[in-house]
Amino acid sequence: MLNKLLIPARAIALGVVLSTASLPAAADSVSDAKLDELQKKLDQSMKMIEALAARVKELEAHTSTATVAAAPAPDPQRLQAVEQKVAQIETANATRQSDDSGLPIHGFADVNTGNYNLYFPYFKGTNVGSLDLYLTPKIGDSVVTLAELIFETGPDGTVGTDLERFQIGYQFNDQATVWVGRFHTPYGYVNTALHHGVWLADALRRPKFANFEDKGGVMPAHTTGVWVTGALREDNGKFLYDFYTGNGQRIMGGIVDMQNGGNEHGAAMFGSRLSYQFIGGAADGLLVGVNGFTDKVNDDNPVTPALIRLNMVGAYAVYDTDTWEHIIEAYSFRDKNLNGAPGTLQSEMWFAQFAYRARWGVPYIRYERANLDQADPYFNEQTFGASYYRSALGVRFDINAKSSIKFEVAHTRNTDDRPATDYRPSDAEIGLPQQFNEILAQYAVRF
Amino acid sequence: MRIQILALLFGTFLVAWTSTAGAGDLVVICNPSVSLKADEVRDVYFGDKGFAGTVKLLPADNSAAQDAFLEKVMKLDAKKYAGVWIKKAFRDGSAPPPVKASDAEAIAYVKQTPGACSYITSAPSDGVVVVAKF
Repeated sequence: MLNKLLIPARAIALGVVLSTASLPAAADSVSDAKLDELQKKLDQSMKMIEALAARVKELEAHTSTATVAAAPAPDPQRLQAVEQKVAQIETANATRQSDDSGLPIHGFADVNTGNYNLYFPYFKGTNVGSLDLYLTPKIGDSVVTLAELIFETGPDGTVGTDLERFQIGYQFNDQATVWVGRFHTPYGYVNTALHHGVWLADALRRPKFANFEDKGGVMPAHTTGVWVTGALREDNGKFLYDFYTGNGQRIMGGIVDMQNGGNEHGAAMFGSRLSYQFIGGAADGLLVGVNGFTDKVNDDNPVTPALIRLNMVGAYAVYDTDTWEHIIEAYSFRDKNLNGAPGTLQSEMWFAQFAYRARWGVPYIRYERANLDQADPYFNEQTFGASYYRSALGVRFDINAKSSIKFEVAHTRNTDDRPATDYRPSDAEIGLPQQFNEILAQYAVRF
Repeated sequence: MRIQILALLFGTFLVAWTSTAGAGDLVVICNPSVSLKADEVRDVYFGDKGFAGTVKLLPADNSAAQDAFLEKVMKLDAKKYAGVWIKKAFRDGSAPPPVKASDAEAIAYVKQTPGACSYITSAPSDGVVVVAKF
């Protein structure tokens, strides 16, 4: 619109200018009257130009105002509604809890290969390791639950299912949580901190004597009962305690069973662990503790059934920092066969592991020793109850945040000659080598 | 023209200077039901402190400020922080803190949830208590 008005105005002005420019050429042939007339016309033209220019300015100003007026004015109510909606979305996101978004399943898995099975040396080659699933359903602020289901290869080479842990607890405060169910027996460090889930551990496997009952371990690694645990914070660290009681175990088929359904004799196991964790200062990362339990264990020997009173005391120390992971555990047993000859049966076991957490990997070295009294039915009747020592050297490489590869070379020597008894065949008949050298590899993941 | 360029440069400098001055603030906030000391914040986010008196603590991470929080308060990186919670969850069934996406979400969560704590980089609003500034 504006351009349409400007174009004729410019044309008129141009015409006037051209007309004016032609005046000198015609000056000699026209009269003064005509000059006056032309002058008047020029004046009129100039006035017309000025009028048109004013009109153009007026139209421009009008157009700007109209444009501004045409834009939609902000609606306060609409704006407020949008703000409320955004706030509602933020609040909904902020208050959304993990318990209304389904139950997350976490887990660990590993596969292994080597010249021997890492747990059952009468097998050689590759094994599927374990698939470990654990759930932590959130029931409420103070109600805590933990379920761990594991699929793993057993001593017979077949894959079995095990409800590894199933415990329901109530957290009163930081100083006291009570768990009921089947849990990892709180002794030492490894049994509760580095149980299943081999990805968690720097080493490829646990010490043999401290392994799970069905993986060559000789300790009661699981208890079905009640467990009270808590921590008392101090300026330089915290004091940790565990008290527990549970069903007395039973040796079944050469393996310690935690008697999930209760035991026959009704006797209970009692135990405790007291620890102190240093926080800050030069000792930051150091954890020391003592532990012990007393347990009444029977067996399934039909010929000479045993009833053994286990009395264990132990101590441990862990130095766990960004750079180091050192673990030392020691246990001493003073047992009595309640159905046998009087006297105390004495056994000891310990291990020391030192690891350096370098950027490129975690090399570690470990020595373990178990001196188990074979007059003690508790050890003698177990398939893997022979005394032994093992030295191992290994390394862990993290492929990414969720997977790692570990390698270990180890030498193991059984120091007991175990002939067949009325309960079990000899180690040779089982296929357990008296001494052997292992080269092992493990691929472990978490998810 | 030269004056305009100088003015533009000066304005840019002012904006940059004021932004830098505010970027260092990390504020730990809690619901008014929570009484917490500054030196207890680390224990809370390591899962070692679950209660403030009788109040069950419900800490939340804030992804918008997590890097600064881990560096200034927890003194570790995100990988190690995740590792701590993986071990803790497996050992005692604890759940890691839920993660909020922004300061606004963190503030809304803390305001509305008794026992809640989180951290933000913006100015805290009414309805929360400031536990510590880093």
